[in-house]
Amino acid sequence: MLRLLSVLAVSMLTLGTLLAQETADYYRQNCMSCHTVGGGRLTGPDLKNVTERKDRAWLARFMTDPKAAIDAGDPYALKIFQEARGVMMPALPGMTRARAEALLDLIQTESAKEKSIFAGVQISDRPFTDRDVETGHAIFTGAASLKNGGPSCIGCHTVNGMGGFGGGTLGPDLTTVFERYQGRKTLSTWLSAPATPTMQSIFKKDPLEPEEILSLVAYFQHTLTRNPEDASTARLNFILIGLAGTIVLLGLFDVVWHKRFRAVRRPLVQERQLESHP
Amino acid sequence: MNVRSQISMVFHLDKCIGCHTCSIACKNIWTDRKGTEYMWWNNVETKPGTGFPTKWEDQEKYRGGWELRDGKLVLKSTSKAKTVTNIFHNPSMPSMDDYYEPWTYKYDELFNAPEGSDQPTARPVSMVTGEYINVESGPNWDDDLGGSRIYAESDPNLKGLSEEQRQQLSAVERLVLFYFPRICNHCLNPSCVASCPSGALYKRGEDGIVLIDQKRCRGWRACVAACPYKKTFYNWSTGKSEKCVLCYPRLETGEAPACFHSCVGRIRYLGVLLYDADRLEEVAKLPDEQLIDGHRSLILDPHDPEVIAAARKNDIHDSVIESAQNSPVYKFVKEWKIALPPHIEFRTLPMLFYVPPMSPVMANRNDDTVSSVSDEFFHDIEQARVPLQFLANLFGAGHQGKLLYALKKQKAVRVYRRSRTVGDIPMKTAEAILREADCTVEEAEGIYKLTSLCTFEERFVIPPMHREEAIEMMKDPQEHKTAVGFGFLDPPKRGL
Repeated sequence: MLRLLSVLAVSMLTLGTLLAQETADYYRQNCMSCHTVGGGRLTGPDLKNVTERKDRAWLARFMTDPKAAIDAGDPYALKIFQEARGVMMPALPGMTRARAEALLDLIQTESAKEKSIFAGVQISDRPFTDRDVETGHAIFTGAASLKNGGPSCIGCHTVNGMGGFGGGTLGPDLTTVFERYQGRKTLSTWLSAPATPTMQSIFKKDPLEPEEILSLVAYFQHTLTRNPEDASTARLNFILIGLAGTIVLLGLFDVVWHKRFRAVRRPLVQERQLESHP
Repeated sequence: MNVRSQISMVFHLDKCIGCHTCSIACKNIWTDRKGTEYMWWNNVETKPGTGFPTKWEDQEKYRGGWELRDGKLVLKSTSKAKTVTNIFHNPSMPSMDDYYEPWTYKYDELFNAPEGSDQPTARPVSMVTGEYINVESGPNWDDDLGGSRIYAESDPNLKGLSEEQRQQLSAVERLVLFYFPRICNHCLNPSCVASCPSGALYKRGEDGIVLIDQKRCRGWRACVAACPYKKTFYNWSTGKSEKCVLCYPRLETGEAPACFHSCVGRIRYLGVLLYDADRLEEVAKLPDEQLIDGHRSLILDPHDPEVIAAARKNDIHDSVIESAQNSPVYKFVKEWKIALPPHIEFRTLPMLFYVPPMSPVMANRNDDTVSSVSDEFFHDIEQARVPLQFLANLFGAGHQGKLLYALKKQKAVRVYRRSRTVGDIPMKTAEAILREADCTVEEAEGIYKLTSLCTFEERFVIPPMHREEAIEMMKDPQEHKTAVGFGFLDPPKRGL
C-alpha cells in the first residue's frame, strides 16, 4: 500500500513538473515576444503582478479571446489596446481556459521572484557601431550563416536596396521593422522568440544568438533611413530581368541545339517552287 | 555459333506495279484508329522520289540508324547522356508535316447540299483537328511522279550521279520510275529497340519480329527518331508509339501478313532464316563495302548438320528448321544472291530484302522518233534507264558490284527463258550469258519458277510459331490456355 502510494506521489510530482515545464514552453513561444515579467513593457504590458491589477476571471477571459473583449468595448481592454498603440493581442493557438489559468499561475509564481526567467532577453545596451550594421547586413543576406543553422532572412524577406531581384517576397518588407516594433528592446525580444506561426516553426529549433540579434537590430535601425521598396518598381524589375533571362536562355538553346531537326517537306517544296518561278 | 530464327522477307521490285493494295490492306487492319490515320506501316514509294516521310533517307536531317565512331557502334540520334539532356525536347523528331496531315472530306456537304446553281463540293477536313485544311501533301504525294522537279530531283539516292545522268532521269520520253514498297525491316540490329528509354521495344525471340509493348511505352518517341527507315510512328491519341507487327496474329495462325496476302503483283516472299547472333556486332561494324557480304555471312545454311545441331541446342523446333530449309528468302538472298537489303549503310541489318528492278531500255531521241540504243534483245545493264549508281545507293551502300551481279543474273535468266520458250536466241548464247552471270541452268530454272510461277505455298513458307514454347517459359501452357480468351479489352492510353 505504502509502495503504491509512493509510486502515485512520484508520478503526480513528475506530471506536475512536466505540466509546469509545458506551460513555461508555451509562454516562451507565444507570450515572450510581447511581454516580460518584471522587464518593462514591450509591445504588450509588463505582466509582473498582473493578477493583482485585475481579477483572474477577467484576465482568463481576455486571454482566450482578446478581440472579443476589445470589440465589446470593455474599458480596461480598450485602455491596454491604446497603450499598445493599437497592436491587438493575437488569438493564440491552443489557448483554453485551463491553459490561461496555468499561465496566470506561472506569471504569479514568476512575479514573486526577484528576477524572473521571463524578465526579457539580455541584449547589450551598447551603442551600435558600423561593424554591427555590416554584420547585420551579412546575416540578412546570408553571407554570414547563423550560428545555430537557421535560414537567413533574405529567403523570405527583403529590405529596400537589396539590388537585383531583391529579397524574398514571402514575408513582409523589413525596411521599417525597427519603427514598427517600437525600437531596439521590443524588436530584440521579438527576435529572440518570434511569435508568428511561420517564424516560430522555423526558429524554434534554431534560435538566433543574442549577438546576432544585436547585429540584425542594428541593421534594421540603419535601414530605417530608407523608404520601403516601391512594389511596382520591384515588380517591373522582376519582369524585365525575367524577360531578359528568357531571351538569353532561348538564344542559348538555339545555339546548343543548332543542329536540331527542322521541317523537311515544306522548305523543300518552297525552295523548289522558288527556283522554278523566281 | 548462337543460332536464332528470323522471319524474313523478299520484295521482288521487278514485279511491283505500284497499286498500293498492300498499303490499303494494312491500313484497314491496323491503322484506321484515331491517332494512327497518318501512319502507313506499309507504304509504296515512287523512285526516284522523296518517299514517306519526305526525304526519310537523308540521315543528315533525320539522324536515324547507327554510325561507327572510334570503332564503336553508336546511335546517331541519341545516347545515354542525350536521353537526359534532350528529355523535354528531342532535336531529331520529325513533325507531322514531314509525314502529312491526314484528312477526310465533308461528304455531308456534298450529299445534303441544297439545290442551287453551283456544283456542291466536299471540302477536305483534317483528321487531327477537324478543321478545314488545304491539302498540301499526302503519304504518296509524289506517286508516279518520276521526273518531277520537286520530288524526284530531291531523291537522296541521286548522290554521286553525274549531271547528265540526272537530266536523263527526267528527260521527256526517257524518264523512268519504279516502285519501292516498304514495311518495317524487322532488323537484326534494330536502332529503335536500342534507343528506347523505357525498354518497351523488343525483338521477339522465336521469330525476330520487332514489337512495341503498348503497356511499357511511355511515348518518348526515341524510336521514331532512331529508326532510319522511319517505320515507328507516334500515336498522338494514345500517347504511345506503334509500328508494323508483321501481322503476327496472322502468322501465328499460319496466314501470311495482310500486305503479303493481298499483293496483286505477288512480289512478296516470306520465310525463316537461321542466323548467327554471336557475330552481329562484328558484322554491323564492317566497312560499308563489306556490309552486304557480312550480312549474308550471318545467314546460316539450314541444311548444314552443324547448324541444325546448334539450332536444336537453342531450342529451335525441328519444324522451324524444316521451314527454314524451304524458305524462299534463303534462296533469293543466300543461294542466288539477287536480293539485297535496303540502305544497309544504316547498319541496322534489315531482314527485308529487295530484288532490284530491271528498268526499261535506254532510248535515243532523234527529232520526233525515239529508238532503242541497244541492239540486244535485253539491253545492257549499264545502259538501263535507271543508272546503276542510283540502285547502288539504295541497295548497295553506294557500291555497284552487288547490284550489277543481281541484275546480270536476272537478265541472264530472261535470255535463257527466251531461248527455251521462243527459241529466237541460240541456247549457246544463252548459256554463255548464264555463265557470265555466275548462274547455272538449274539456278536459272529455280529463279524463273519462284519469280513467275510461284504458288502461295512457295511464296509464303510460314513456320509453326510454337507459341506454346514461348508461353512455357513463363507459364504452364495448359494453364495459359484456360486463362485467356475471355476478359476485358484494355485499349492503350496515355500515362502509366
